[in-house]
Amino acid sequence: MNFIRQFVALLRLSLSGLAQRAGAVLTIIIGVTCAVGVLVAMLAMGSGARRQVLAGVREDRVVVNSHGARGIQSSIPRDEADTVRDLPGIKRGSDGKPIVEFESVVPIEARRRVTGTQIFFPLVGITGAPFSELDPDLHLTEGRVFRPGLHELMASNPCVRQFTGFGIGDNRPIGGVDWTIVGHFDEGDTQQCIVFADAEILMSTFHNTTYTQATAMLRSPADYRILQSALETTPTLHLEVHHEREAREEAIRQLDALLNFAAYFVGTIMAAGATLGAVNSLYSIVDARRREIATLRAIGFGAAPVAAAVLCESIVLALPGALLGVLLARALFHRMAVSPFGFSFLLDVTPGLAAIGVVWALAMGLIGGLLPALRAARVPVTTALRAT
Amino acid sequence: MTPGVGFVSVLCCAEALAEACALGMKYLPLICSGLWRKPGRTILIFLQVAVAFALFGVLQGLKTGVAHAVAAARADLLLVHSRLSSIAQPLPYGLLEQIRTVPGVKLAIPVELTGGTYQKPTEGIGIVAVTPEPDWPTAFTYTIAPEYVAAFGKSRTAMLVRDLVAEKYGWKIGDHIPLKLVVAQQNGSSDWGFDVVGTFTDSDIGGGRYIVIVSYPYFDEARVLQKGTVNHFNVAITDPTLAAQVSDAIDRRFANSFHETKTESLREMAQASMQRIGDFDFLIRAVVGAVLVALLFATTTMMVQSIHERTPELAVLKTVGFTDRAVFLLVLAEALAVFLAGAVCGLLLAWLTLPIAARFVVGLSMPGVVIVIGLALGALVALVSAAIPAALAARLKVVTALGGHRAA
Repeated sequence: MNFIRQFVALLRLSLSGLAQRAGAVLTIIIGVTCAVGVLVAMLAMGSGARRQVLAGVREDRVVVNSHGARGIQSSIPRDEADTVRDLPGIKRGSDGKPIVEFESVVPIEARRRVTGTQIFFPLVGITGAPFSELDPDLHLTEGRVFRPGLHELMASNPCVRQFTGFGIGDNRPIGGVDWTIVGHFDEGDTQQCIVFADAEILMSTFHNTTYTQATAMLRSPADYRILQSALETTPTLHLEVHHEREAREEAIRQLDALLNFAAYFVGTIMAAGATLGAVNSLYSIVDARRREIATLRAIGFGAAPVAAAVLCESIVLALPGALLGVLLARALFHRMAVSPFGFSFLLDVTPGLAAIGVVWALAMGLIGGLLPALRAARVPVTTALRAT
Repeated sequence: MTPGVGFVSVLCCAEALAEACALGMKYLPLICSGLWRKPGRTILIFLQVAVAFALFGVLQGLKTGVAHAVAAARADLLLVHSRLSSIAQPLPYGLLEQIRTVPGVKLAIPVELTGGTYQKPTEGIGIVAVTPEPDWPTAFTYTIAPEYVAAFGKSRTAMLVRDLVAEKYGWKIGDHIPLKLVVAQQNGSSDWGFDVVGTFTDSDIGGGRYIVIVSYPYFDEARVLQKGTVNHFNVAITDPTLAAQVSDAIDRRFANSFHETKTESLREMAQASMQRIGDFDFLIRAVVGAVLVALLFATTTMMVQSIHERTPELAVLKTVGFTDRAVFLLVLAEALAVFLAGAVCGLLLAWLTLPIAARFVVGLSMPGVVIVIGLALGALVALVSAAIPAALAARLKVVTALGGHRAA
């Protein structure tokens, strides 16, 4: 009880004196602000990328591709595709047909609107009509749906915003043929540019004989096992099925790991720098208060409350830096569009990241305060009192 | 700020730097004792500077390293891709003869790319299939010992492995390696086997780390689908200065044909991929800016504190005849000493950690220019952060200071 009373009194005393030590206080706050701001901004890339990729994921949607293959390396021959349509577990639409869509994906180059930089986006040829029961998130915002058999394209709205040549009626030469943009659509909250065309006409343009992958709707999430075992037991099929979430996470795993590594690498180094600065500032605060601390010790304050008060002061000084850093990161970087490695997404400063930033700052305050707290506790009472 | 003022201030900076250095040489013991008055504080500032410049070195190394790699990419090596799509669209093998007859072409080698895995689905390996014609390595960025090249030409199932792959899996010459490819063989199986006949290194940063080279004739004969096609052709040209003309000549030959081509040199391709990381520039600059601002603030307050504490000593210096200017420069020299030592250590640290970081980020390297920029930046930050404390010290009035009053 005595400890707590002394501690509170000491903390109030040291906090009331902060105004006179503006330099040291500002050093701690600015250092922590920079470290937390940078960490949060960089982590926002990873969280933005994940949010984008996992937007609109459904538990009852699955992706089928060829065995062991990923992305555009996958290929599904037409005869296997016909077999897939009749597999058990796949939901049937209102017209009684199985809800399966085969996709032929071709990476195509585009130019950025502002910088003119080259970037790749997927041109996806789909079998069946777009805006089917397979993807309820998809909706047309302008123009019309492409007509099967014609060289017509539908671009997602992010394409229109980011790249040139995606207006309605624009022509794009792809594969030696002019394609006309006939419609714009939105797909949930994603920033990724994606363009749809009729699968048959796209495959004949690129002389492809196989689909890249298939997306199917299950009757219920539990039917995943049924479809999986059906795929495994059908000898003519060389395909495997994945949950949509799994397939998308796989696609982003490497980028996510890289971004997070970079964020924590840079964040740790900056935190180390800020901690060193805090140690220095707190040392100077403790040194400036040597006589004051010695007097307090002489009139009966214990060494433990003195040390605890310095430690607490350090943490209290780190907190405004944390909040400032998070706010700055949010103000400067939230929803900023980036496209590293040709993959576009918005930075996303989430409450979770803010919490990480605050924890980071608390750690800096705690570690930075340890040594100065020890020094404060060890102030030799008699010599300090005698000193001028 | 007008350019003229900027120029003058740069001149002033350089002048102060030179004078502070000269003075530093002369009064080295004095500076040392000033710095060593509170060793803990000096060491902490030094560490903070070192940490900041270690980060600067790595980040700048990322930026400059890639630019460096672009400049080092070979301009005399052309890649002929399909104009439709450089990744997904194959070209027929038959274009080879026509490419060879284009004037300026020294050697053209067909290249097919595919992917495979070793033992586990997570252990991906890039497969490069080439025709083992005489001198074929000259059309690649690979360095291969002549005896390995000879051995590769002799066997159909021969495989050359990149040194990194051989190290990772412990493959030796003579080993028969089973690989699972994304391409099926005639018998329907996607299990392939190749014999290791040698290793090679690759100087191209965009070429993939885990790659092996196999024989195209064997690969093409054994596979089921897309027979007779290649991903691209590697073309070595006789004169690097003619890269653009030869590229155009090749593309013209196939213009309006069923297989239009797009020919680019390795350097052009490196430039394009460098633009793609352009978005990071802003971020890198923001981080470096934040680091320097925090550093500037921390050192300024620390030095002001230090000057306050040393008021009596500085007053004594002035009493024994040091001019205001000399005291000013002395404080600058102290800051310079700490900053340069910290910057050197930090950059050294970055240089030592780069090989580790390069595993995650392709193209990371630290050319000398990064070190020069780092040191210059260190000197600049030292001068700026020491300016206020140095001015305080210079303006000290001897009488008041000796009288026990602190500097204003």
